[in-house]
Amino acid sequence: MRPWWALSLLLLMCGMRPALAAGPAQMDLDWLKTIAFAAHQTDYSGTFIYQYGGHVETSRITHITDQDGEHEKLESLDGPHREIIRNNDEVWCSVDGHKAVQVEKRHKDRAFPALLPEQLNALSENYQILTGPRARVAGFDAQTILFKPKDNLRYAHQFWAHTDSGLLLKAAVLNKHGQVVEQYAFTELTIGGNIKPDWGIPTQSAVSQAHDAHLVPLPGAGVQVVSSGWQVDDLPPGFQKIMEIRRPMRSKKTPVLHMIYSDGLAGISVFVEDMSDDPDDVNPTLTSQGAIQVYRKEVDNHLITVVGEVPPRTVMQVADSVRYAGD
Amino acid sequence: MKEHISALMDGELFDDEAEAILDKLKRDPEGHEDWLSFHLISDALRQPDHVSPDISAALRERLKAEPTVLAPRGRSAQKVRWFALSAAASVLALAIVAWLSAQVGPEVAPQIAMQQVPGNIRPASANMDDYLMAHQEFSPSSSMEGMTPYIRTVASVQGGRQQ
Repeated sequence: MRPWWALSLLLLMCGMRPALAAGPAQMDLDWLKTIAFAAHQTDYSGTFIYQYGGHVETSRITHITDQDGEHEKLESLDGPHREIIRNNDEVWCSVDGHKAVQVEKRHKDRAFPALLPEQLNALSENYQILTGPRARVAGFDAQTILFKPKDNLRYAHQFWAHTDSGLLLKAAVLNKHGQVVEQYAFTELTIGGNIKPDWGIPTQSAVSQAHDAHLVPLPGAGVQVVSSGWQVDDLPPGFQKIMEIRRPMRSKKTPVLHMIYSDGLAGISVFVEDMSDDPDDVNPTLTSQGAIQVYRKEVDNHLITVVGEVPPRTVMQVADSVRYAGD
Repeated sequence: MKEHISALMDGELFDDEAEAILDKLKRDPEGHEDWLSFHLISDALRQPDHVSPDISAALRERLKAEPTVLAPRGRSAQKVRWFALSAAASVLALAIVAWLSAQVGPEVAPQIAMQQVPGNIRPASANMDDYLMAHQEFSPSSSMEGMTPYIRTVASVQGGRQQ
């Protein structure tokens, strides 16, 4: 217990003397790596609640790793039965017992854990990282870690990480007034031990042949890395481009351009597509759910959709600064 | 209250909070005044040439209401209210000046940009889920939290997205 208090004190002192604070305490960044590692290398199964605004729902998640990689199932326990199944880089979604439709095929280059050193640096430049007191979540001891943004273009994030495994037991997103924008927390959890999947994990051959009865593959060509000439001029500081791809989408005839930015904790996606695919939606529109904001507008006869775990003003600022700078 | 109104105008409140504030505004004349004056201020900041005549017009209206103060006091709650309102109007004029001088700074522009939007906030269409899923794939939250954040995308299937 004592070292944590000493660390908190140290951090406080760093906070008070910013000129002397050369960087974040290595311990905190180590915690992040542990959390990222645990999320993908731990076998666990549990029930968690997800809450935003007046909305609460319960879901069940099971995550296992074996010699073939990561397998995961997320299912809703309230309302219509919804299920998301992930098998390494492929994700399927099914609603109310309908065929599972593939919604994602991750890019092959991307392997977890994906916290890059540059992202960790960006994190400490744009967030104050504070380890807080210990707490208990779902019967487990947890270490709290708070990421307080240094500007109001991003949300604060608070994590409760299992002290032994590093697995996140609870996570909350807070606005600048300190109010919870959304949170999830395990209410019951089994970590490690002999966790068996209760769903059929698709074999590689079944996936590649797409013959598996309950799995519908994503249509169209695969994801391509591109350089389109579209750019964002006014990203908040610390957001770096992770990737630029053309990706197939279920409801679109042609692949959609997808640019991905991250400050290490929050992501911003910018989608660009021809207006002809979706001609009815031209007025600037902001929608939100919990910490996710979506802002759409037309730029140069293209539909721009910005999605991010950032406050409304940020997605709007980004969308307003999207332009075509190619030939 | 003022802080809440400002947050509402900046689009920073959530559905239920915004509704609660709007409800309060309907019932609370002072809050309503603040609401009007905040809009006036932001209009003034956006188009200073057009708005100043409106401010004086509004004040003239208030001054027309002044004579009611001269009537015997305490007759009816209505008159007390008018007195309060006209007093509020004078205070308001001062407040606008004070607020304007306090608010001129680099922060002003984004706040004004924000408030043009709330009128256009609409429920997301069903195909928004595809964007959310695609975003989730690369979101840093996936590296920290595994698949749990995917609940955002499935949660939306039920009962439509808010706002």
